[in-house]
Amino acid sequence: MEKAKISAYQLFVMIVLFELGSAVLVPIASGAKQDAWIAILVGMAGGFLLFGAHYRLYRYYPEITPIQYMQKLLGKFFGKLLAFSYIVLFMYFAARVLRDFGEMLLTFAYVETPLFIVNAMLIMVVVYAVIKGIEVLARTGELFFLLLYLLAVIGFILIVSSGLIELTQLMPVLEEGWGRVLKVVATETISVPFGEAVVFSMILPYLDNKDSGLGAGMFGLFVAGINLSIVMAINISVQGVEILTRSQFPLLTTVQSIQMAEFLERLDVFFMVSVIIGIFFKVSLYFYAAVSGTAILFNIKEPSRLVYPLGLVVLFMSITIASSYSEHIKEGLGLMAKTLQPFFLVLVPVFLLGIAYLKNRKKQA
Amino acid sequence: MKWIHRCLIPAACSLLLSGCWSQKELNDLAIISAMGIDLKEGGGYTATLQIINPANVAGGLQGGGAGTNAPPVSIYTAEGDNIVATNRQATQKLPRIRYYAHTNLLVVSEELARKEGIELILDAIERDAEFRMTSVLVIAQGTTAGELVKVLTPVDKIPANKVIKNLRFAEQQRGEHVTMNVQDIIKDLTAEGKEPVIAGFIIEGDPKEGVALENTHQTEPPARIGLGSLGLFREGKLVDWAEGSAARGTVWILDKLKGTNISIDWEDKQDAVVYEVIRQNTKVTAKLKQGKPAINIQVQAEGNIGETRVQLQLDDPKVLLKLEKAFEKEIEAELITAVEQAQKAKSDVFGFGESIHRSYPEEWKKLKAEWHDAQFPELKVDVTVEAFIRRTGLRNNPHKRN
Repeated sequence: MEKAKISAYQLFVMIVLFELGSAVLVPIASGAKQDAWIAILVGMAGGFLLFGAHYRLYRYYPEITPIQYMQKLLGKFFGKLLAFSYIVLFMYFAARVLRDFGEMLLTFAYVETPLFIVNAMLIMVVVYAVIKGIEVLARTGELFFLLLYLLAVIGFILIVSSGLIELTQLMPVLEEGWGRVLKVVATETISVPFGEAVVFSMILPYLDNKDSGLGAGMFGLFVAGINLSIVMAINISVQGVEILTRSQFPLLTTVQSIQMAEFLERLDVFFMVSVIIGIFFKVSLYFYAAVSGTAILFNIKEPSRLVYPLGLVVLFMSITIASSYSEHIKEGLGLMAKTLQPFFLVLVPVFLLGIAYLKNRKKQA
Repeated sequence: MKWIHRCLIPAACSLLLSGCWSQKELNDLAIISAMGIDLKEGGGYTATLQIINPANVAGGLQGGGAGTNAPPVSIYTAEGDNIVATNRQATQKLPRIRYYAHTNLLVVSEELARKEGIELILDAIERDAEFRMTSVLVIAQGTTAGELVKVLTPVDKIPANKVIKNLRFAEQQRGEHVTMNVQDIIKDLTAEGKEPVIAGFIIEGDPKEGVALENTHQTEPPARIGLGSLGLFREGKLVDWAEGSAARGTVWILDKLKGTNISIDWEDKQDAVVYEVIRQNTKVTAKLKQGKPAINIQVQAEGNIGETRVQLQLDDPKVLLKLEKAFEKEIEAELITAVEQAQKAKSDVFGFGESIHRSYPEEWKKLKAEWHDAQFPELKVDVTVEAFIRRTGLRNNPHKRN
């Protein structure tokens, strides 16, 4: 662990940026059709519980990271094994988000540029940020948070005032009952993006004020969840469900539909900037968690030496995980959503909390 | 060591930040303003690309084109089996890189819309990152898309802009057409229980004269592009044209009417009083009457008196009330004409099916299968209109010769 302190506000900002990250880019919860926005809200409620679990664990072991308390809870061997799996998982997620970024740029702007070049550009910035440490990342977050919200507010006003929103597209609400929505919540939204906040269990020990962690985290998830839900509801009411489920990047389609007063159109750059901000923070936080986790697990004195080699691993992983965009998305929503994500993002934290509860109760008694 | 770092970083940045991986110079681009698509004989398509000739457009608005004696656009045609192949084939003759980001107009020939339907040509357009979903699509009514795209136009020098502006302003002031872009059309095509309507454009005069610059050098061009009728679609294919009041009724039910003029007969005099609608609000609601679906259309219109050709005491509110009743009847008749025509064509362009789907999702599952063939043509539609006359212009009563 590096010597650093972050404030509750910085934690909040990082959570919002992290959660919005790639979730505004790809069509999340589109399996729930016109009820996608409900699925996001329900997923957010689940995210609250999961974050509560991470926070409880943090309060049991306020000075150490999950990498260390997993060993305390499960014993040396299984603890190290689980900690190592989480490090690999963080790197894999970093690679996935990096791939999202590259695919977005290649699909829509840089058709002829190789994926490697585009991904390498972002990973270079991420490597630089992670070398600088969590404090710098958090302060950068404060700056970009304002920019992101400025863009979001302008974009929202433009979409509303160009009369694109047809709320009837959201009807009929719950056409197939709750079943379809809950299925999407269970396989998708509870773990991605809300369960992904597991990465912040690596960052909670840096908090300068321990008590503020829960409030800041919950409020961050709430703001992000509401925003994602609004974005999804707008996407549906502008494009209709049919186009939405076929869109690779639904928000891009929405932004491209804006036509105001003959000259305010083609605001694709709004979308690009906000997505790049979000994705930068998401990759950076995952990568930071992976790097600091590795350093702690293997007792490496200078974590910054790990950054370059691990950065290369993430870069190559991002290119090799899938051979096409469809494969990449299917992997994320199919296999991953059914196995890795519920296990590592939902079950394991709850399980750990259970053990921690039992152990500490014994201690007190 | 330190100075090496200091030199290397800017050097590395300058390599990366220049961002000229696949750069396209402006003078290498062929900016395509409109694309016309026709069926080729024996299968496949013919695309007609209208390319802006930048040097001949500049300053045209003020100077009336003085100094240039070449047309503002140039036409290239290409053939192929699908949309992408057809467009790439254009490079055989085109000395520049095709650039579609400003292609605001797509023209589809009536033949293509009737025979093959518009569905197949839209995929390439929504898939392509350069093409915009906000491009307007129109049908070349009674002619080919190629002919329509070739006609040069005065005032608005780029013909694509003339077509789009023509459509937009006619929509605002006359209300017999709607501007439909690619996204709207795909939305309607894929919705359950809704079909698109697309405006048709016609060529008045001899299309052969339209291609010469002389066409724009006359007060009355020998070839002129103008709005035609409103095309009704069914399963992606053009099935019928709605004209006049049927077209306006359709626009009205779609709640897209922005302004229009309604004339009524008064005391044996035909079309004697004119009502200018300035705003309206139309609500379509679905109901179930003993298990059978029915549609309720409620119209609220607001407007002024634009003209009267009979002696009317327009300063008397009671007269205005009587007039309102007459206008309501006229509007109602128009809406019913529109519904009847669409029902005859079995084309649910109003989205009545969609309204039922939204209000009664369970019942819709049963109706869906035979909606277009059996349910929609027999659908009971109620129309209630409320019209309000707010003002009568600068005069109250009309002048009277003594």
